[in-house]
Amino acid sequence: MSNRFDISKAPLRAEPRHPAAAAPVQSVPATPGGLIRSTLLAAGAAGAILVLFWLPAEYGIDPTGVGGLTGLTEMGEIKQQLAAEAEADVEAAAAAPVAAVEATPATAAPAPEILERLDRIDAQLAAISAVIGTPPSLTEPAAAATVVAEPAPEAAAAPAPDPVEAAVAEAAAPEPATPEWRDEVSYTLNPGEGIEVKLSMEEGQTARFLWTANGSVVNFDLHGDGSGESISYEQGRAVPEAAGDLTAAFTGNHGWFWRNRTEAPVTVTLRTGGDYAEIKAP
Amino acid sequence: MIQFFRAHWRPPMPWQALIALATLFTALLLAGAALAHNVTEGDSGYVQEVTGFRPIAFIYLGAKHMVTGYDHLLFLAGVIFFLYRSKDIATYVSIFAIGHSVTMIAGVWWSIKINAYIIDATIAFSVVYKALDNLGAFRLWFGVQPNTKAATLIFGLLHGFGLATKIQDYDISPDGLLGNLIAFNLGVELGQLMALALILTAMTHWRARHAFARQAYAANVLMMVAGFALMGLQITGYFVA
Repeated sequence: MSNRFDISKAPLRAEPRHPAAAAPVQSVPATPGGLIRSTLLAAGAAGAILVLFWLPAEYGIDPTGVGGLTGLTEMGEIKQQLAAEAEADVEAAAAAPVAAVEATPATAAPAPEILERLDRIDAQLAAISAVIGTPPSLTEPAAAATVVAEPAPEAAAAPAPDPVEAAVAEAAAPEPATPEWRDEVSYTLNPGEGIEVKLSMEEGQTARFLWTANGSVVNFDLHGDGSGESISYEQGRAVPEAAGDLTAAFTGNHGWFWRNRTEAPVTVTLRTGGDYAEIKAP
Repeated sequence: MIQFFRAHWRPPMPWQALIALATLFTALLLAGAALAHNVTEGDSGYVQEVTGFRPIAFIYLGAKHMVTGYDHLLFLAGVIFFLYRSKDIATYVSIFAIGHSVTMIAGVWWSIKINAYIIDATIAFSVVYKALDNLGAFRLWFGVQPNTKAATLIFGLLHGFGLATKIQDYDISPDGLLGNLIAFNLGVELGQLMALALILTAMTHWRARHAFARQAYAANVLMMVAGFALMGLQITGYFVA
Protein backbone atom coordinates (compact mmCIF):
# COMPACT_ATOMS: atom_id res chain seq x y z
CA MET A 1 0.00 0.00 0.00
CA SER A 2 2.73 2.38 0.90
CA ASN A 3 4.49 2.23 -2.45
CA ARG A 4 1.30 3.26 -4.16
CA PHE A 5 2.51 6.84 -3.79
CA ASP A 6 6.14 6.08 -4.36
CA ILE A 7 7.28 9.23 -6.11
CA SER A 8 10.48 7.64 -7.35
CA LYS A 9 8.47 5.35 -9.62
CA ALA A 10 6.41 8.13 -11.12
CA PRO A 11 7.52 9.77 -14.37
CA LEU A 12 9.25 13.05 -13.75
CA ARG A 13 7.20 14.97 -16.29
CA ALA A 14 5.39 14.41 -19.49
CA GLU A 15 8.13 14.49 -22.08
CA PRO A 16 7.03 14.85 -25.66
CA ARG A 17 7.81 11.60 -27.40
CA HIS A 18 9.28 13.32 -30.41
CA PRO A 19 10.89 16.58 -29.40
CA ALA A 20 12.06 17.11 -32.97
CA ALA A 21 8.46 17.22 -34.26
CA ALA A 22 7.83 20.37 -32.27
CA ALA A 23 9.82 22.44 -34.77
CA PRO A 24 7.24 23.31 -37.44
CA VAL A 25 8.09 22.51 -41.01
CA GLN A 26 7.68 25.76 -42.90
CA SER A 27 9.44 24.97 -46.15
CA VAL A 28 10.69 22.04 -48.14
CA PRO A 29 14.19 21.35 -49.38
CA ALA A 30 14.26 21.92 -53.12
CA THR A 31 16.59 22.84 -55.96
CA PRO A 32 15.72 25.00 -58.98
CA GLY A 33 16.29 22.11 -61.40
CA GLY A 34 14.38 19.67 -59.23
CA LEU A 35 11.46 22.05 -59.04
CA ILE A 36 11.38 22.49 -62.81
CA ARG A 37 11.33 18.70 -63.18
CA SER A 38 8.56 18.43 -60.59
CA THR A 39 6.53 21.14 -62.31
CA LEU A 40 6.90 19.45 -65.70
CA LEU A 41 6.00 16.12 -64.09
CA ALA A 42 2.89 17.69 -62.57
CA ALA A 43 1.89 19.26 -65.89
CA GLY A 44 2.50 15.95 -67.67
CA ALA A 45 0.43 13.99 -65.15
CA ALA A 46 -2.35 16.56 -65.43
CA GLY A 47 -2.19 16.32 -69.22
CA ALA A 48 -2.44 12.54 -69.07
CA ILE A 49 -5.44 12.65 -66.72
CA LEU A 50 -7.11 15.19 -69.00
CA VAL A 51 -6.43 13.44 -72.29
CA LEU A 52 -7.15 9.90 -71.08
CA PHE A 53 -10.15 10.46 -68.85
CA TRP A 54 -11.40 13.94 -68.21
CA LEU A 55 -11.79 15.42 -71.68
CA PRO A 56 -13.42 12.25 -73.09
CA ALA A 57 -15.87 12.05 -70.17
CA GLU A 58 -16.82 15.74 -70.14
CA TYR A 59 -16.55 16.89 -73.74
CA GLY A 60 -16.25 13.71 -75.81
CA ILE A 61 -12.77 14.84 -76.94
CA ASP A 62 -10.63 11.74 -77.33
CA PRO A 63 -7.28 12.35 -79.05
CA THR A 64 -5.72 9.03 -77.93
CA GLY A 65 -8.65 6.69 -78.57
CA VAL A 66 -8.47 5.42 -74.98
CA GLY A 67 -11.75 7.15 -74.15
CA GLY A 68 -13.41 5.17 -76.94
CA LEU A 69 -12.14 1.92 -75.43
CA THR A 70 -13.27 2.78 -71.92
CA GLY A 71 -16.62 4.19 -73.04
CA LEU A 72 -15.91 7.58 -71.48
CA THR A 73 -16.08 9.29 -74.88
CA GLU A 74 -19.68 8.15 -75.27
CA MET A 75 -20.45 9.73 -71.89
CA GLY A 76 -18.93 13.00 -73.00
CA GLU A 77 -20.77 12.96 -76.32
CA ILE A 78 -24.11 12.33 -74.64
CA LYS A 79 -23.43 15.11 -72.13
CA GLN A 80 -22.62 17.54 -74.93
CA GLN A 81 -25.70 16.56 -76.88
CA LEU A 82 -27.99 16.90 -73.86
CA ALA A 83 -26.44 20.27 -73.04
CA ALA A 84 -27.03 21.50 -76.59
CA GLU A 85 -30.63 20.30 -76.53
CA ALA A 86 -31.26 21.86 -73.11
CA GLU A 87 -29.90 25.13 -74.46
CA ALA A 88 -32.20 24.91 -77.47
CA ASP A 89 -35.13 24.32 -75.12
CA VAL A 90 -34.21 27.35 -73.04
CA GLU A 91 -34.00 29.49 -76.15
CA ALA A 92 -37.35 28.23 -77.39
CA ALA A 93 -38.89 28.94 -73.99
CA ALA A 94 -37.28 32.38 -73.85
CA ALA A 95 -38.70 33.33 -77.24
CA ALA A 96 -42.29 32.67 -76.15
CA PRO A 97 -42.57 35.14 -73.24
CA VAL A 98 -41.22 37.96 -75.42
CA ALA A 99 -44.06 37.41 -77.86
CA ALA A 100 -46.54 37.34 -75.00
CA VAL A 101 -45.32 40.64 -73.58
CA GLU A 102 -45.55 42.30 -76.98
CA ALA A 103 -49.07 41.03 -77.46
CA THR A 104 -50.39 42.44 -74.19
CA PRO A 105 -48.54 45.67 -73.53
CA ALA A 106 -51.42 47.64 -71.99
CA THR A 107 -52.30 45.38 -69.10
CA ALA A 108 -51.08 46.25 -65.64
CA ALA A 109 -48.15 44.13 -64.48
CA PRO A 110 -49.62 40.90 -63.09
CA ALA A 111 -48.24 38.99 -60.15
CA PRO A 112 -44.96 37.18 -60.83
CA GLU A 113 -46.59 33.82 -60.10
CA ILE A 114 -49.06 34.43 -62.90
CA LEU A 115 -46.28 35.53 -65.25
CA GLU A 116 -44.33 32.38 -64.49
CA ARG A 117 -47.34 30.23 -65.16
CA LEU A 118 -47.92 32.09 -68.41
CA ASP A 119 -44.30 31.57 -69.36
CA ARG A 120 -44.63 27.85 -68.85
CA ILE A 121 -47.81 27.72 -70.88
CA ASP A 122 -46.17 29.75 -73.63
CA ALA A 123 -43.23 27.37 -73.69
CA GLN A 124 -45.57 24.45 -74.13
CA LEU A 125 -47.48 26.27 -76.85
CA ALA A 126 -44.23 26.96 -78.64
CA ALA A 127 -43.35 23.29 -78.45
CA ILE A 128 -46.74 22.30 -79.83
CA SER A 129 -46.67 24.86 -82.63
CA ALA A 130 -43.24 23.56 -83.57
CA VAL A 131 -44.87 20.19 -84.20
CA ILE A 132 -47.86 21.60 -86.03
CA GLY A 133 -45.80 24.00 -88.10
CA THR A 134 -43.53 21.35 -89.53
CA PRO A 135 -44.80 20.19 -92.92
CA PRO A 136 -45.27 16.44 -92.95
CA SER A 137 -43.01 15.21 -95.71
CA LEU A 138 -42.77 11.50 -95.34
CA THR A 139 -40.21 10.94 -98.04
CA GLU A 140 -37.59 12.98 -96.27
CA PRO A 141 -35.34 10.92 -94.05
CA ALA A 142 -34.91 12.10 -90.50
CA ALA A 143 -31.68 13.92 -91.05
CA ALA A 144 -31.49 16.91 -88.73
CA ALA A 145 -34.56 15.63 -86.97
CA THR A 146 -36.63 18.29 -85.30
CA VAL A 147 -36.35 17.48 -81.67
CA VAL A 148 -39.33 19.05 -80.01
CA ALA A 149 -39.10 19.94 -76.34
CA GLU A 150 -38.08 16.84 -74.42
CA PRO A 151 -41.18 15.84 -72.52
CA ALA A 152 -39.62 13.69 -69.83
CA PRO A 153 -38.82 16.33 -67.15
CA GLU A 154 -42.18 18.06 -67.25
CA ALA A 155 -43.96 14.76 -67.44
CA ALA A 156 -42.81 13.93 -63.92
CA ALA A 157 -44.75 16.86 -62.50
CA ALA A 158 -47.79 16.41 -64.69
CA PRO A 159 -50.86 15.03 -63.00
CA ALA A 160 -52.17 11.95 -64.71
CA PRO A 161 -55.94 12.38 -64.69
CA ASP A 162 -56.69 8.71 -64.74
CA PRO A 163 -53.81 6.25 -64.69
CA VAL A 164 -55.98 3.36 -65.72
CA GLU A 165 -57.35 5.20 -68.71
CA ALA A 166 -53.95 6.55 -69.59
CA ALA A 167 -52.23 3.23 -69.44
CA VAL A 168 -51.17 1.70 -72.69
CA ALA A 169 -52.70 -1.69 -73.13
CA GLU A 170 -49.81 -3.62 -74.60
CA ALA A 171 -50.86 -5.93 -77.39
CA ALA A 172 -54.43 -5.89 -76.18
CA ALA A 173 -57.01 -7.93 -78.08
CA PRO A 174 -55.30 -8.55 -81.39
CA GLU A 175 -57.54 -8.04 -84.36
CA PRO A 176 -58.68 -11.23 -85.99
CA ALA A 177 -58.30 -9.87 -89.50
CA THR A 178 -55.36 -7.80 -90.71
CA PRO A 179 -55.67 -4.50 -88.87
CA GLU A 180 -56.43 -1.49 -90.96
CA TRP A 181 -53.61 1.01 -90.65
CA ARG A 182 -54.32 4.60 -91.55
CA ASP A 183 -50.77 5.89 -91.60
CA GLU A 184 -47.32 4.47 -91.95
CA VAL A 185 -44.13 6.49 -91.52
CA SER A 186 -40.52 5.42 -91.58
CA TYR A 187 -37.40 7.24 -90.49
CA THR A 188 -33.73 6.43 -90.52
CA LEU A 189 -31.95 7.75 -87.45
CA ASN A 190 -28.19 8.14 -87.39
CA PRO A 191 -26.43 7.34 -84.10
CA GLY A 192 -27.46 9.91 -81.51
CA GLU A 193 -30.36 11.28 -83.53
CA GLY A 194 -33.89 11.49 -82.23
CA ILE A 195 -37.29 12.07 -83.78
CA GLU A 196 -40.80 12.76 -82.63
CA VAL A 197 -44.08 11.67 -84.21
CA LYS A 198 -47.41 12.54 -82.64
CA LEU A 199 -51.09 11.92 -83.12
CA SER A 200 -53.57 14.73 -82.68
CA MET A 201 -56.24 13.24 -80.42
CA GLU A 202 -59.34 14.20 -78.42
CA GLU A 203 -59.52 13.13 -74.80
CA GLY A 204 -60.56 9.48 -74.54
CA GLN A 205 -59.86 8.59 -78.17
CA THR A 206 -57.97 5.35 -78.66
CA ALA A 207 -55.46 4.74 -81.42
CA ARG A 208 -53.79 1.47 -82.31
CA PHE A 209 -50.12 1.42 -83.07
CA LEU A 210 -47.23 -0.81 -84.01
CA TRP A 211 -43.67 0.34 -84.32
CA THR A 212 -40.50 -1.52 -84.96
CA ALA A 213 -36.80 -0.69 -85.09
CA ASN A 214 -36.50 -3.19 -87.98
CA GLY A 215 -34.15 -5.57 -86.21
CA SER A 216 -32.28 -2.97 -84.19
CA VAL A 217 -33.22 -1.21 -80.94
CA VAL A 218 -34.18 2.36 -79.96
CA ASN A 219 -34.95 4.31 -76.81
CA PHE A 220 -38.45 5.68 -76.70
CA ASP A 221 -40.77 7.90 -74.72
CA LEU A 222 -44.47 7.59 -75.38
CA HIS A 223 -45.91 10.84 -74.14
CA GLY A 224 -48.47 13.53 -74.73
CA ASP A 225 -48.99 17.24 -74.22
CA GLY A 226 -51.69 19.79 -74.82
CA SER A 227 -54.55 21.42 -72.88
CA GLY A 228 -51.85 22.78 -70.55
CA GLU A 229 -50.97 19.26 -69.49
CA SER A 230 -48.29 16.77 -70.26
CA ILE A 231 -47.88 13.10 -69.51
CA SER A 232 -45.41 10.32 -70.09
CA TYR A 233 -47.21 7.05 -70.72
CA GLU A 234 -44.24 4.78 -71.11
CA GLN A 235 -40.50 4.93 -71.58
CA GLY A 236 -38.03 2.30 -72.61
CA ARG A 237 -34.39 1.78 -73.51
CA ALA A 238 -33.01 -0.47 -76.22
CA VAL A 239 -36.46 -1.71 -77.26
CA PRO A 240 -36.81 -3.56 -80.59
CA GLU A 241 -40.54 -2.93 -81.14
CA ALA A 242 -43.85 -2.24 -79.46
CA ALA A 243 -47.54 -2.47 -80.26
CA GLY A 244 -50.77 -1.66 -78.47
CA ASP A 245 -53.48 0.91 -77.90
CA LEU A 246 -52.94 4.51 -76.98
CA THR A 247 -55.77 6.22 -75.12
CA ALA A 248 -55.42 9.99 -74.91
CA ALA A 249 -55.51 11.22 -71.32
CA PHE A 250 -56.45 14.70 -72.51
CA THR A 251 -56.96 16.56 -75.76
CA GLY A 252 -53.64 17.25 -77.42
CA ASN A 253 -50.76 15.59 -79.21
CA HIS A 254 -49.76 12.13 -78.11
CA GLY A 255 -46.95 10.13 -79.58
CA TRP A 256 -43.42 8.88 -79.58
CA PHE A 257 -39.97 10.27 -79.21
CA TRP A 258 -37.35 7.83 -80.41
CA ARG A 259 -33.63 8.13 -80.07
CA ASN A 260 -30.98 5.92 -81.62
CA ARG A 261 -28.32 5.22 -79.00
CA THR A 262 -26.69 2.45 -80.99
CA GLU A 263 -23.61 2.92 -83.12
CA ALA A 264 -25.29 2.26 -86.47
CA PRO A 265 -28.22 3.89 -88.28
CA VAL A 266 -31.61 2.53 -87.25
CA THR A 267 -34.81 2.67 -89.25
CA VAL A 268 -37.97 3.10 -87.21
CA THR A 269 -41.28 2.27 -88.84
CA LEU A 270 -44.58 3.31 -87.23
CA ARG A 271 -48.05 2.19 -88.26
CA THR A 272 -51.11 3.77 -86.68
CA GLY A 273 -54.84 3.23 -86.89
CA GLY A 274 -58.00 3.85 -84.87
CA ASP A 275 -59.32 7.15 -83.56
CA TYR A 276 -57.20 10.24 -84.07
CA ALA A 277 -57.51 13.40 -86.11
CA GLU A 278 -54.17 13.32 -87.94
CA ILE A 279 -50.58 12.24 -87.67
CA LYS A 280 -48.02 14.95 -87.08
CA ALA A 281 -44.74 13.75 -88.44
CA PRO A 282 -41.68 15.75 -89.44
CA MET B 1 19.70 -14.17 -54.49
CA ILE B 2 16.37 -12.91 -53.26
CA GLN B 3 17.79 -12.29 -49.82
CA PHE B 4 20.64 -10.34 -51.33
CA PHE B 5 18.17 -8.29 -53.30
CA ARG B 6 16.03 -7.65 -50.25
CA ALA B 7 19.03 -6.64 -48.19
CA HIS B 8 20.23 -4.10 -50.73
CA TRP B 9 16.99 -2.83 -52.10
CA ARG B 10 15.35 0.03 -50.27
CA PRO B 11 12.06 1.43 -51.38
CA PRO B 12 13.00 4.76 -52.90
CA MET B 13 9.67 6.34 -52.09
CA PRO B 14 7.43 6.35 -49.02
CA TRP B 15 4.79 4.37 -50.87
CA GLN B 16 2.31 4.15 -48.04
CA ALA B 17 2.32 7.89 -47.58
CA LEU B 18 2.03 8.49 -51.32
CA ILE B 19 -0.88 6.09 -51.65
CA ALA B 20 -2.63 7.81 -48.75
CA LEU B 21 -2.06 11.20 -50.38
CA ALA B 22 -3.20 10.00 -53.78
CA THR B 23 -6.37 8.58 -52.24
CA LEU B 24 -7.07 11.89 -50.53
CA PHE B 25 -6.65 13.87 -53.72
CA THR B 26 -8.65 11.39 -55.76
CA ALA B 27 -11.45 11.56 -53.22
CA LEU B 28 -11.35 15.34 -53.42
CA LEU B 29 -11.45 15.29 -57.21
CA LEU B 30 -14.21 12.70 -57.37
CA ALA B 31 -16.30 14.54 -54.82
CA GLY B 32 -15.86 17.68 -56.87
CA ALA B 33 -16.68 15.97 -60.11
CA ALA B 34 -19.78 14.40 -58.65
CA LEU B 35 -21.05 17.62 -57.14
CA ALA B 36 -19.82 19.80 -59.99
CA HIS B 37 -18.60 23.28 -59.44
CA ASN B 38 -21.38 24.93 -61.32
CA VAL B 39 -24.53 26.11 -59.74
CA THR B 40 -26.68 23.03 -59.99
CA GLU B 41 -29.78 22.99 -62.11
CA GLY B 42 -31.95 22.68 -59.01
CA ASP B 43 -30.44 25.68 -57.21
CA SER B 44 -30.47 27.80 -60.32
CA GLY B 45 -34.06 26.83 -60.99
CA TYR B 46 -35.03 27.77 -57.44
CA VAL B 47 -33.37 31.18 -57.65
CA GLN B 48 -35.14 31.94 -60.92
CA GLU B 49 -38.51 31.19 -59.35
CA VAL B 50 -38.25 33.41 -56.28
CA THR B 51 -38.14 37.14 -55.60
CA GLY B 52 -37.49 39.27 -52.52
CA PHE B 53 -35.07 39.07 -49.62
CA ARG B 54 -34.52 35.47 -48.56
CA PRO B 55 -31.53 35.48 -46.22
CA ILE B 56 -31.47 31.87 -45.04
CA ALA B 57 -31.91 30.47 -48.54
CA PHE B 58 -29.02 32.54 -49.92
CA ILE B 59 -26.76 31.83 -46.93
CA TYR B 60 -27.37 28.15 -47.61
CA LEU B 61 -26.61 28.52 -51.33
CA GLY B 62 -23.40 30.45 -50.59
CA ALA B 63 -22.20 27.88 -48.08
CA LYS B 64 -23.07 25.04 -50.43
CA HIS B 65 -21.17 26.68 -53.27
CA MET B 66 -18.06 27.10 -51.14
CA VAL B 67 -18.07 23.66 -49.54
CA THR B 68 -18.54 21.97 -52.92
CA GLY B 69 -16.17 24.31 -54.79
CA TYR B 70 -13.05 22.19 -54.90
CA ASP B 71 -10.90 24.83 -56.58
CA HIS B 72 -11.54 27.33 -53.78
CA LEU B 73 -10.79 24.63 -51.21
CA LEU B 74 -7.57 23.53 -52.90
CA PHE B 75 -6.34 27.13 -52.90
CA LEU B 76 -7.33 27.54 -49.26
CA ALA B 77 -5.47 24.34 -48.35
CA GLY B 78 -2.45 25.70 -50.20
CA VAL B 79 -2.63 29.02 -48.33
CA ILE B 80 -2.64 27.44 -44.88
CA PHE B 81 -0.25 24.63 -45.79
CA PHE B 82 2.69 26.10 -43.88
CA LEU B 83 0.72 28.36 -41.53
CA TYR B 84 0.78 27.16 -37.93
CA ARG B 85 -0.21 30.09 -35.73
CA SER B 86 -3.91 30.76 -35.52
CA LYS B 87 -3.20 34.49 -35.86
CA ASP B 88 -1.50 33.91 -39.23
CA ILE B 89 -4.29 31.62 -40.40
CA ALA B 90 -6.91 34.19 -39.40
CA THR B 91 -4.97 36.97 -41.19
CA TYR B 92 -4.60 35.11 -44.47
CA VAL B 93 -8.12 33.72 -44.49
CA SER B 94 -9.47 37.22 -43.78
CA ILE B 95 -7.41 38.69 -46.63
CA PHE B 96 -8.79 36.01 -48.96
CA ALA B 97 -12.34 36.61 -47.69
CA ILE B 98 -12.10 40.40 -48.12
CA GLY B 99 -10.75 39.92 -51.63
CA HIS B 100 -13.51 37.64 -52.86
CA SER B 101 -16.28 39.55 -51.06
CA VAL B 102 -15.33 42.81 -52.76
CA THR B 103 -15.32 41.45 -56.32
CA MET B 104 -18.30 39.18 -55.75
CA ILE B 105 -20.63 41.97 -54.64
CA ALA B 106 -19.16 44.58 -57.00
CA GLY B 107 -19.22 42.14 -59.90
CA VAL B 108 -22.90 41.30 -59.47
CA TRP B 109 -23.90 44.87 -58.61
CA TRP B 110 -22.35 46.34 -61.75
CA SER B 111 -22.98 43.23 -63.86
CA ILE B 112 -19.29 42.64 -64.54
CA LYS B 113 -19.32 39.27 -66.20
CA ILE B 114 -16.15 37.44 -67.12
CA ASN B 115 -16.37 34.22 -69.10
CA ALA B 116 -16.87 31.44 -66.53
CA TYR B 117 -14.28 29.19 -68.18
CA ILE B 118 -11.63 31.89 -68.22
CA ILE B 119 -12.19 32.83 -64.60
CA ASP B 120 -12.25 29.18 -63.51
CA ALA B 121 -9.01 28.58 -65.39
CA THR B 122 -7.50 31.53 -63.52
CA ILE B 123 -8.70 30.10 -60.22
CA ALA B 124 -7.11 26.77 -61.18
CA PHE B 125 -3.91 28.68 -61.96
CA SER B 126 -4.03 30.16 -58.45
CA VAL B 127 -3.80 26.59 -57.12
CA VAL B 128 -0.67 25.95 -59.22
CA TYR B 129 0.79 29.30 -58.13
CA LYS B 130 0.23 28.60 -54.44
CA ALA B 131 1.75 25.12 -54.71
CA LEU B 132 4.84 26.57 -56.40
CA ASP B 133 4.96 29.29 -53.77
CA ASN B 134 4.87 26.66 -51.02
CA LEU B 135 7.75 24.85 -52.68
CA GLY B 136 9.76 28.08 -52.71
CA ALA B 137 9.96 28.02 -56.49
CA PHE B 138 9.90 31.79 -57.03
CA ARG B 139 12.75 32.31 -54.59
CA LEU B 140 14.77 29.57 -56.21
CA TRP B 141 14.02 30.46 -59.81
CA PHE B 142 13.90 34.24 -59.74
CA GLY B 143 15.59 35.07 -56.45
CA VAL B 144 12.54 36.91 -55.13
CA GLN B 145 9.72 35.90 -52.84
CA PRO B 146 6.50 37.58 -54.01
CA ASN B 147 4.53 39.04 -51.12
CA THR B 148 2.29 36.19 -50.00
CA LYS B 149 -0.34 38.48 -48.49
CA ALA B 150 -0.62 40.49 -51.72
CA ALA B 151 -0.89 37.27 -53.73
CA THR B 152 -3.66 36.02 -51.42
CA LEU B 153 -5.53 39.30 -51.88
CA ILE B 154 -5.16 39.27 -55.68
CA PHE B 155 -6.29 35.67 -55.96
CA GLY B 156 -9.09 36.43 -53.50
CA LEU B 157 -10.28 39.15 -55.88
CA LEU B 158 -10.15 36.70 -58.80
CA HIS B 159 -12.05 34.01 -56.88
CA GLY B 160 -14.69 36.67 -56.15
CA PHE B 161 -15.15 37.31 -59.87
CA GLY B 162 -15.73 33.59 -60.23
CA LEU B 163 -18.42 33.74 -57.57
CA ALA B 164 -19.95 36.82 -59.23
CA THR B 165 -20.12 35.03 -62.57
CA LYS B 166 -21.85 32.06 -60.94
CA ILE B 167 -24.41 34.29 -59.21
CA GLN B 168 -25.16 36.11 -62.45
CA ASP B 169 -25.79 32.73 -64.05
CA TYR B 170 -28.42 32.30 -61.33
CA ASP B 171 -30.39 35.07 -63.06
CA ILE B 172 -31.24 36.45 -59.63
CA SER B 173 -34.26 38.75 -59.21
CA PRO B 174 -33.49 42.50 -58.83
CA ASP B 175 -36.03 42.55 -55.99
CA GLY B 176 -34.02 42.13 -52.79
CA LEU B 177 -30.77 41.77 -54.74
CA LEU B 178 -28.36 43.49 -52.34
CA GLY B 179 -29.69 41.71 -49.26
CA ASN B 180 -29.55 38.37 -51.02
CA LEU B 181 -26.01 39.07 -52.23
CA ILE B 182 -24.85 39.86 -48.72
CA ALA B 183 -26.58 36.73 -47.47
CA PHE B 184 -24.89 34.67 -50.18
CA ASN B 185 -21.54 36.18 -49.25
CA LEU B 186 -22.16 35.42 -45.58
CA GLY B 187 -22.91 31.86 -46.60
CA VAL B 188 -19.67 31.72 -48.59
CA GLU B 189 -17.73 32.78 -45.48
CA LEU B 190 -19.58 30.27 -43.30
CA GLY B 191 -18.92 27.52 -45.81
CA GLN B 192 -15.30 28.56 -45.95
CA LEU B 193 -15.01 28.37 -42.16
CA MET B 194 -16.62 24.93 -42.14
CA ALA B 195 -14.28 23.68 -44.85
CA LEU B 196 -11.32 25.34 -43.12
CA ALA B 197 -12.15 23.54 -39.87
CA LEU B 198 -11.97 20.20 -41.67
CA ILE B 199 -8.81 21.08 -43.61
CA LEU B 200 -7.10 22.37 -40.47
CA THR B 201 -8.02 19.29 -38.46
CA ALA B 202 -6.49 17.05 -41.10
CA MET B 203 -3.46 19.32 -41.58
CA THR B 204 -2.76 19.51 -37.83
CA HIS B 205 -2.70 15.75 -37.53
CA TRP B 206 -0.58 15.41 -40.63
CA ARG B 207 1.90 18.09 -39.63
CA ALA B 208 2.38 16.49 -36.20
CA ARG B 209 3.85 13.44 -37.92
CA HIS B 210 7.50 13.08 -38.80
CA ALA B 211 6.54 12.02 -42.29
CA PHE B 212 5.08 15.48 -43.04
CA ALA B 213 8.52 16.92 -43.82
CA ARG B 214 9.00 14.24 -46.51
CA GLN B 215 5.45 14.34 -47.85
CA ALA B 216 5.07 18.11 -48.03
CA TYR B 217 6.97 18.28 -51.32
CA ALA B 218 4.92 15.51 -52.94
CA ALA B 219 1.70 17.01 -51.62
CA ASN B 220 2.39 20.35 -53.31
CA VAL B 221 3.35 18.62 -56.55
CA LEU B 222 0.03 16.75 -56.42
CA MET B 223 -1.69 20.07 -55.82
CA MET B 224 -0.02 21.31 -59.00
CA VAL B 225 -1.32 18.25 -60.86
CA ALA B 226 -4.85 19.09 -59.73
CA GLY B 227 -4.39 22.75 -60.65
CA PHE B 228 -2.96 22.00 -64.08
CA ALA B 229 -5.70 19.45 -64.82
CA LEU B 230 -8.43 21.91 -63.82
CA MET B 231 -6.81 24.57 -65.97
CA GLY B 232 -6.78 22.23 -68.94
CA LEU B 233 -10.40 21.28 -68.40
CA GLN B 234 -11.57 24.90 -68.18
CA ILE B 235 -9.51 26.08 -71.15
CA THR B 236 -10.85 23.19 -73.24
CA GLY B 237 -14.35 24.05 -72.06
CA TYR B 238 -13.84 27.63 -73.25
CA PHE B 239 -13.08 26.45 -76.78
CA VAL B 240 -15.76 23.74 -76.85
CA ALA B 241 -18.63 25.84 -75.51
